[in-house]
Amino acid sequence: MHRHRVAALSCSAVLTAAALTACGGSDDSGSGPVDLTYWAWADMEQVVDMWNEANPDIQVTVKEQAAGDDLVTRTITAAQAGQGPDLVQAEYQALPTLVSNDVLADISGQVADVEDQFAPGLWQQVTLGTDAVYALPQDSGPMMFFYRHDLFEEYGLTVPTTWDEFAETARTVRDVAPDTYLTTFSANDAGQFAGLAQQAGAQWWTTEGETWQVAIDDEATRRVAEFWGGLVAEDAILNEPMYTPAWNQAINSGEQIAWVSAVWAPGSLTTAAPDTAGNWAMAPLPQWEAGENATGSWGGSTTAVTRDSEHAEAAAEFATWLNTDPEALAGLVREGGIYPAATAAQTGEALAEPPAFFPNQPDFYAQAAEIAAGTAPAAWGPNVNVAYSTFNDAFGEAAQSRGDFPAALTAMQRSVVEDLESHGFQVSE
Amino acid sequence: MTAQALRPGRAAPRRVALLPTAALLLGALYCLVPVAWVLVASTKAGDELFSTFTFAPGTGLLDNIADLSAYRDGVYWRWMANSVLYAGVGAVLSCAVSALGGYALAVYRFRGREAVFGVLLAGVLMPPVILAVPQYLLLAEADLAGSRLSVLLPVLLSPYGIYLARIYATAAVPSDVLEAARMDGAGEWRTFRTIALPMMLPGLVTIFLFQFVAIWNNFLLPFIMLSDDEKFPMTLGLYTLLNQGSNSPSLYTLVITGSLLAVLPLIALFLFIQRFWSLDLLTGAVKS
Amino acid sequence: MTRRRRPGARRRAPWAFLAPAIVLFLLFFALPIGYAIHLSLRTIEVQGLGLGSGARSEVWAGLSNYADALSDPELLDGALRVGVYGLIVVPVMLGLALLFALILDADRVRGRRFGRLVIFLPYAVPGVIAALLWGFLYLPSVSPLHHTLDALGLPEPDLLGGGALYAALANIAVWGGTGFNMIVIYTALRAIPADVHEAARLDGCSQLQIALRIKVPMVTPALVLTFFFSIIATLQVFSEPTTLRPLTNGISTTWSPLMKVYRDAFDTGDVHSAAATAVVIAVVTLALSFGFLRAAGARTRQEEAR
Repeated sequence: MHRHRVAALSCSAVLTAAALTACGGSDDSGSGPVDLTYWAWADMEQVVDMWNEANPDIQVTVKEQAAGDDLVTRTITAAQAGQGPDLVQAEYQALPTLVSNDVLADISGQVADVEDQFAPGLWQQVTLGTDAVYALPQDSGPMMFFYRHDLFEEYGLTVPTTWDEFAETARTVRDVAPDTYLTTFSANDAGQFAGLAQQAGAQWWTTEGETWQVAIDDEATRRVAEFWGGLVAEDAILNEPMYTPAWNQAINSGEQIAWVSAVWAPGSLTTAAPDTAGNWAMAPLPQWEAGENATGSWGGSTTAVTRDSEHAEAAAEFATWLNTDPEALAGLVREGGIYPAATAAQTGEALAEPPAFFPNQPDFYAQAAEIAAGTAPAAWGPNVNVAYSTFNDAFGEAAQSRGDFPAALTAMQRSVVEDLESHGFQVSE
Repeated sequence: MTAQALRPGRAAPRRVALLPTAALLLGALYCLVPVAWVLVASTKAGDELFSTFTFAPGTGLLDNIADLSAYRDGVYWRWMANSVLYAGVGAVLSCAVSALGGYALAVYRFRGREAVFGVLLAGVLMPPVILAVPQYLLLAEADLAGSRLSVLLPVLLSPYGIYLARIYATAAVPSDVLEAARMDGAGEWRTFRTIALPMMLPGLVTIFLFQFVAIWNNFLLPFIMLSDDEKFPMTLGLYTLLNQGSNSPSLYTLVITGSLLAVLPLIALFLFIQRFWSLDLLTGAVKS
Repeated sequence: MTRRRRPGARRRAPWAFLAPAIVLFLLFFALPIGYAIHLSLRTIEVQGLGLGSGARSEVWAGLSNYADALSDPELLDGALRVGVYGLIVVPVMLGLALLFALILDADRVRGRRFGRLVIFLPYAVPGVIAALLWGFLYLPSVSPLHHTLDALGLPEPDLLGGGALYAALANIAVWGGTGFNMIVIYTALRAIPADVHEAARLDGCSQLQIALRIKVPMVTPALVLTFFFSIIATLQVFSEPTTLRPLTNGISTTWSPLMKVYRDAFDTGDVHSAAATAVVIAVVTLALSFGFLRAAGARTRQEEAR
């Protein structure tokens, strides 16, 4: 036992010494071009090549990553170890977690003049309501309602404009075509649920002085949970997860005829339901009160500069170019199929044509821009990942048993609050 | 080959034992079903995958392979090369470490032998998930995280390999042969290299195979260690294909075709190594 | 025993041979384990809103992470789920492995070479990919099983929910593991000297009797070994349920204890409680296998004495 401890100690001493020398002697100090590493999952190689050609002094290398919550943890671990990239692609809801772990640099000094190029709701998410700027918005995902216009016509359905009509439509589908569902409730997609809650007016995390206010189990979200739970309980909609082979098949074959999704849906449908090109149409999300124009966000990401980066200036310059330059954004739209966060680009040249999968809706992006204008602000906190993983488990169980959705919501609230409290946050409910 | 011939019952080989043969074939069928499925699925074009009957072959195998090769300038083949490198080099080195350790534990009697063996073996009790994060942080301290070495070094020690090597050495290396060598004045190292190692070789082939497969299939370690997709092994590359983020769903056809191609080198390795197994040198050594 | 000519070299030799293994063990097992224990005794504490630099600090937590881990009902539930899963996997997998090994070793069986290769083949398929393949085969809309049942007008089971889920997960492990264990047992069978069979045969024993009365007892050490490793693999089940999880509501993120560790460490980013849970799992595994090894060790000594 003793001998082990001594060996372990001496080993760690050696490793620490190595680390000290490593920290001192990091590469290029002054001369030569700056090399930036960028962890991202979006396809953007050609756009980055464009930059590299025009900027021989600042060379950016993209290291492609798998998307998902584990990338956030990986980034945090790498930053702790001093091995982080210069730039990282991060979803909006991950920003507080990354900031809280001291991974991101405040680039407000470098990007002061770009604020007005983005919608206030998006900008607020990258500043976390402070004076700092932790990232630049890259793409956004305003939510919309997608449906099979051919089957809606065949079954004599009208496009629902309110959630009440949506429920009615779901029931009608079951009557008219018993093997068919309007859509499904997926317990695997917390992002979708969060977006729907935003539409209903939920603000899950807010701050008051030094205190985090957690309102996941609030009236607005409860309304959303009860609504979807009711539909699942009466079998008006399905309870299976999305993004599975079975789901692909269901939307491809017309067993599910609608999808509550976001502006990027055409890309997903192209691969998931290839036989249905031209059969889909997009409409605004159904509203809680008739005549409103509110929607939430599902997905979307930002470009952030890390504190580790020795070239924060250059990194911020690249991030600004990537997310505001018309040519760069056009490239991202073309190559990565993103919906740009920069307001000007949403009605720009690159989005003049509808998505190839929606030739029947020539004004797709014009409508999308109108819908996007009504995006409700999102309010994220430092432990969104806890909320999301509890959502998976609690709502998964509730959906499987067609059981109590509000109880699942309460479980979500509880685990988020407990997690915050256990780390010493001040919390109020 | 000779061992086979030595077996009794060769006198009446004509009558086939039906029941055992049938059981064996059933087992083989069970094992083949999912493999057959990949084989069929990899021939399907994207739009056929979910729309045609599971075992109806499609038309797109060559297209799928071409798509896969074209994906980000053929990064798939780089992943394949990386996997071969990690698994090949890792398995050879791991085999050497196991052979040395197993030999020492088998033929020498020394104080602390069982304790060392027990502690080394206890390594399998530690789930890799638990080791991975500390390993990353420690390798980062040594400035090795993200390098090829970071996925190679931690897999070199295989408790299971040492266990097997000890068993093989005990069974295959008779102590009187070693004694004789020592009497002839051979040093310990030379005795090992010229006498024991050849005798242990068939067993080491098995260890090599097990380690090769273990490293080839390893996912978690490279997932945590590597950030540069140029250094990814196959498993991690396929995982990134499967996990593309919310606005571009998994590239199922590429993943399936990639999975098929990823299994082929291992099958080739098995077929190759089959020859060594049927030599049964190990058995022969025990008998003589 | 006679005295060796070079006793010093003789004494040092085993340690020299073991040196690479020991160094690697210290660097890549002992050190990380020590580090994991260190992490498990600490926690993150936050100042104010926890935003910006310096807002988080790592502090000593004593045993509070362990208290949390042990009082979390999810961990126990996960252990119970894995227990049920193991009760299916281990007997079925080892039973099949022994059966096939005996068949491979028997006379008058056709297709042995083919059978050996094909049954071993799934071992070559990475766990993640194997789970993905079976996942496809389980889903009602793409599964040939459901196609067939549907065509016959039979009810179609939900393989990814309720009790069938255990069978579905166990099946993946059995599929992937049978071949490996078969080879281990088969290798042991091949090591039985031929004259043992010969004698039994001359005594008029049938193939079945030889298999049950002579071969099985003689490969007991191999069976013990495979049993031991199967138990450990079962306790560490991770990649199969993780891969299937997105396909169904029936598998939670904490389905098995190791999945909980992964979730804490990688999804919710709490390395400290993950480390504590991990240490608990390792200690339980150690305790379980210690008793087992002792029993097996006693047996080995018995045999050596023989």
